[in-house]
Amino acid sequence: MTDKPKNILDITGTVLNIQRYCSHDGPGTRTTVFVKGCSLRCKWCGNPESIRMKPEVSYDPNKCDGKKCSICLKAPFPEGGFYFVEGDDSKVKVNWTLAAGINQEIVSLCPTGALEMFGKTMTVGEVMDEVEKDTSIYRNTGGGMTISGGEVMLQPDFAAALLQEAHNRGINTAIETASNAPWSFLEKVLPHVDTMLHDIKLMNSERHKKWTGVSNERILANLKKAYETFPDTDFIARTPLIPGVNADDEHMLGVLEFIKPHKNVIDYELLPYHRFGLGKYDSLGVIYELDDYKTPSDEVVKRFQTMIDKAFGRELTTE
Amino acid sequence: MSTDTGQKRVAIMVGAGYIPGINAVVAGASLAAGKLGWELLGILDGFEGLLHPEKYPNGGLIPIDPQKFNIDPNTGSVLGQSSRIDPFNVRTINELGMVEEVDMSDELLTRLKAENIDAVISIVGGRGLSILYQLHKKGLNAVCVPRSIENDIASTSVAFGFNTALTFTIEMLDRARLAAKAAQKIAVVEVLGEEAGWIALQAGIAVAADAVLIPEIPVDLQHVVTHLKNKMSGKKSWGLVVVAQGAKIINPGKTEEKVSTLKASLSPLATSDSNSEFVIHKSGQVAQAVAEGLQLRIAEETFPMVIGPWVRGGTPSAVDRQLGVAYGAGAIQALEAGRNGVMVAFVPPDVKFVPLAEAINKVRTIPTGSMFFQVADSLGIYVGNKEA
Repeated sequence: MTDKPKNILDITGTVLNIQRYCSHDGPGTRTTVFVKGCSLRCKWCGNPESIRMKPEVSYDPNKCDGKKCSICLKAPFPEGGFYFVEGDDSKVKVNWTLAAGINQEIVSLCPTGALEMFGKTMTVGEVMDEVEKDTSIYRNTGGGMTISGGEVMLQPDFAAALLQEAHNRGINTAIETASNAPWSFLEKVLPHVDTMLHDIKLMNSERHKKWTGVSNERILANLKKAYETFPDTDFIARTPLIPGVNADDEHMLGVLEFIKPHKNVIDYELLPYHRFGLGKYDSLGVIYELDDYKTPSDEVVKRFQTMIDKAFGRELTTE
Repeated sequence: MSTDTGQKRVAIMVGAGYIPGINAVVAGASLAAGKLGWELLGILDGFEGLLHPEKYPNGGLIPIDPQKFNIDPNTGSVLGQSSRIDPFNVRTINELGMVEEVDMSDELLTRLKAENIDAVISIVGGRGLSILYQLHKKGLNAVCVPRSIENDIASTSVAFGFNTALTFTIEMLDRARLAAKAAQKIAVVEVLGEEAGWIALQAGIAVAADAVLIPEIPVDLQHVVTHLKNKMSGKKSWGLVVVAQGAKIINPGKTEEKVSTLKASLSPLATSDSNSEFVIHKSGQVAQAVAEGLQLRIAEETFPMVIGPWVRGGTPSAVDRQLGVAYGAGAIQALEAGRNGVMVAFVPPDVKFVPLAEAINKVRTIPTGSMFFQVADSLGIYVGNKEA
């Protein structure tokens, strides 16, 4: 094991992307830091490039120059990793099995950028340099920095340092998490969090395991403990709403019953399922497991939103 | 373990999902192995039976006795159902309760050695071939049997599973044609074929469709419309358009919903507004797009239908049954001949053994000069190889 850096700014993590001007990842306008690596395998995941912890190659044929270039057919690119189909158009195809293990150095040889690596190692200092660019916007909108994923709890030291440094610089902090991690990880991160947006994907444990790969007992226990241990933190529960998975009364009522006793859970948001991830699965060579499910209808969303509004004592927010 | 008498202990496994004819392959391998006095074992659920034997009461490996094996094609796969076969990326839950993919290829080879298994026969499709090639490079004695509904595996004239799919597709297209004729509408029927249009073209010829749209030839819908209008200018006021799942449509009219790969990584509430054209062809999507695109340009009513997934089940056709048995027996013959790291291929009139290195990274598409195009043209079927 390597020694921890003495300076908080030198702590490193694997970052997928830093996105400025986000409006749905916590209060105000925010900069969202997407970290790489997830501890669940939700079959509907819209961000497949965030799933694996290590950096990985992606391929966008729209950028490929094909046979005019052909650089990826030769060393140092892996043998058999890239090929052409006879009679096909000029785009390279990827053998994802043989191309696995390719690194940034090799990927950077692709002149068009059709190949790129998802994920890079960054220090807290480097991330904060980017986040600090919009300090005035945070001040004007009540925004700040959000760490999303992937799963933020997979990199607890990096996340805690980043959040702590944001606080040091007067920046509001939020995280998005599924909370499937040892409590010690949450305990490390949460003292530096102003708002925690957390998923409750399925209340039924067996179904949770079926759709995400793990049961939900630890997640629910973590959430309950977090609500109680950090009373000054705002919590917002969220459910990615998917017909056939969790868009049902049983789940909704279960979540409302779970969060209701805790006054610091200030809202419950529905995230209607979208299919944005499809193209990305293809570009990563990953099999998309939920290809036949549909976005919930407006009626379904309205029905559940009404239940939530009622539980939170609000006037109806939907038309 | 190989004995002094040359007897071997061989395992057989099948890649992801059911395909008609799997049991025929197992039967062929079993009978051929039995004749040599070799022992054949079935690995359940891909490699899962070997990697996680604790999940199975029988240890994940089942003996396949040629005297007892039932070739009944209606029993599904005797080797179980597997969603994944990649031992280089085995999904597992680590000691922290987190899901991750780990490389278990070394464990797999160790387990095979511990079970005294000399070689593995793998019934796999395109991606499975690459995985087995990787395992072979790590020391696994492997012989692959090509399986493909779409017949897109190169180096073999035909993979088993294709003929059953083709037969069923033709049967369904006959019904679709009758439905279209009865309703005086244009049926747009989507069939399997992500990268190769064999099913669409051969079935389309068999039922004398009006147009066949395949992945190999990008098609402008306006040309299809011109062709349909020409054919429907007389008494005929109905039509049948066969569309492969991976057909490339130029100018579809109503565009597919764009997928924003950038926005997707930003926020779950983001809206789709990118210009990305890079989307996976989902079942039913292209039929819908073509039917709607035609409807914008033609008076007769169009309606989409999807045969796609229906062809993946069922009883193997006579051709697939005998092909499967031949492939199974051929795999044993390869091992007997001291060949491994090969795929059994049907190259008429012979069964040959193609090195895996030559079998991977190739897709068997319909060649430009195929006689099927000439046949389609002579039947008045528009395939997009020239302007209508």
